[in-house]
Amino acid sequence: MGAGDSLETDTRVVDAPDVPRETPEPEKAEESPRGEVLDDPDKRREASAEARQRADGHWKSDRFEVNREELGRFDLKRAGLPDMSIESAAKYIDENRASRPWLAMTDRACPEARRIIAAMDLAGVHPHIRHEGWVTEEANRRRVTHREDPAQLDPEKQALSVDGLRPNDKRHRCADIATRITDPDAFATAFTRGAEHSEVRKALDMAFKPNDKPAIVEIPIADLLGPDGHIHCTGWRLKPVDGSITTAYENRNTWVVDRLEGRKPDPSEPEALPVQTFEGGVFTFIFVGNETERRYEIMTMCPDPPEDQRRES
Amino acid sequence: MSPLYWERHPDGPFATLIAVATSYLHPEIDDADSLKRFAKSEDNQKSRVFKSELREALADPSRLPAGELFAHVKYDEGSDEAFLRQLWHDLYGDETP
Repeated sequence: MGAGDSLETDTRVVDAPDVPRETPEPEKAEESPRGEVLDDPDKRREASAEARQRADGHWKSDRFEVNREELGRFDLKRAGLPDMSIESAAKYIDENRASRPWLAMTDRACPEARRIIAAMDLAGVHPHIRHEGWVTEEANRRRVTHREDPAQLDPEKQALSVDGLRPNDKRHRCADIATRITDPDAFATAFTRGAEHSEVRKALDMAFKPNDKPAIVEIPIADLLGPDGHIHCTGWRLKPVDGSITTAYENRNTWVVDRLEGRKPDPSEPEALPVQTFEGGVFTFIFVGNETERRYEIMTMCPDPPEDQRRES
Repeated sequence: MSPLYWERHPDGPFATLIAVATSYLHPEIDDADSLKRFAKSEDNQKSRVFKSELREALADPSRLPAGELFAHVKYDEGSDEAFLRQLWHDLYGDETP
C-alpha cells in the first residue's frame, strides 16, 4: 500500500500564523513582522519579541518536512499514551479546544501529528503545553523574565507567577531559559523518534518501582530531526548581569519574589535575549511514573541549546 | 560529551545525588512531592545511596563537583550548601544529617 492510500487528507491550515493565539488586526501604529500595523500594546509586544527572535535568534519559519507515514505508524502506547485514531483525535480537539487553547496549534499540524498531540493532551503530559508553537515568543520571553507560566490560563494568576499545571497555586519556576519547537509536525516527530531512541527506551522500559523514576535523558536535536532540525527551535535566555547568567538568575528570582510579596523590586527589570542558535543542542526528556499502569512515561520534552551556551562562561 | 554529570561520571562523586535531584527538581518538572516519596522509600537502594550522598555533601559541600548541582537543578537558594540544607530539611525533617 502506498502512502497516498493510507494517509488522511491533510487539513492543515497552511496559512495559519506561527503563533495561533495572535490575531493581529491592521490598525495604526507599529508594523508587525508580517507587515501588519499594531495598535494594541500586547500585540506590539508580541510582534517585537517575534521580530527580535527572527533577527537575533536567527529563527527561520521554514516548514518541517514531515514524514506522515512515519507518524501514522507510531504506536502511541510505546510512549505510554492512550491509543487514539485520527478521527477520535479530531473529535477530542474539537471538544476541548475552548478549555485547552494550546490545542489550537494542531491546526497547523498534519493529521498524523494531530493524533499524537491529542493523545499527549489526553494523557495529561505537558511537553506540548509549554514547548510548542502555541507558546508565543513574547510568552516565552516573559516566562524567563517574570516567571509567568504560559500554561496558566488565568491572566491574573499568570501575572502572579502561579503555575498553570501544578496543584494548589504553587509558584511557577523557570530556569534561566525557556524554549519551544515552532512547528507542530517537527514537535510530534521529535517526540515519536525520541520515544524510540535507545536511551529513552531504556528509561521507559525500566522495571517499574513505585516512588522511583529514571534519570533525565538528553538526545541531540540532529539525531531526532536531522542536521537542520535546530532551525525549528527558539528560546529566550536571561541577559547576563555583570557578565554572569548566575547573577542574572538570582537577581531575576529576587525581583519576582519581591514583587509578589509586596516589597519594592529593584528598578531594573530582568531582561532576556533570544537564544542565538540551537545547532548542536539537545532535546531533554523528563520522565514520570504512572502508578496505575505501573510504567514510566515522558512527562515533558524541551529543546536546549548547545552546552557552551547553557553553562556559565 | 554528554552535558549530564552522571553520564560523564557514572562512578563520580555524588552522581546519584545530582541525578536524582535533577530528575525531580529540574525547573521543567519541579516535583518535590514525588521526591519526598522517593526519599522515604528506604527499601530502594538508590534512595539509600541518595541519602548517604546528601549527608556526605552536607558534611563538606566543597567536595561537590564545582557548578554541577546548580547547572542541573537551577535551585533558588543561592549556594550548593543552602540548597542541600533546605533539601535535607524538606525530605528528612529534623533528623540529624
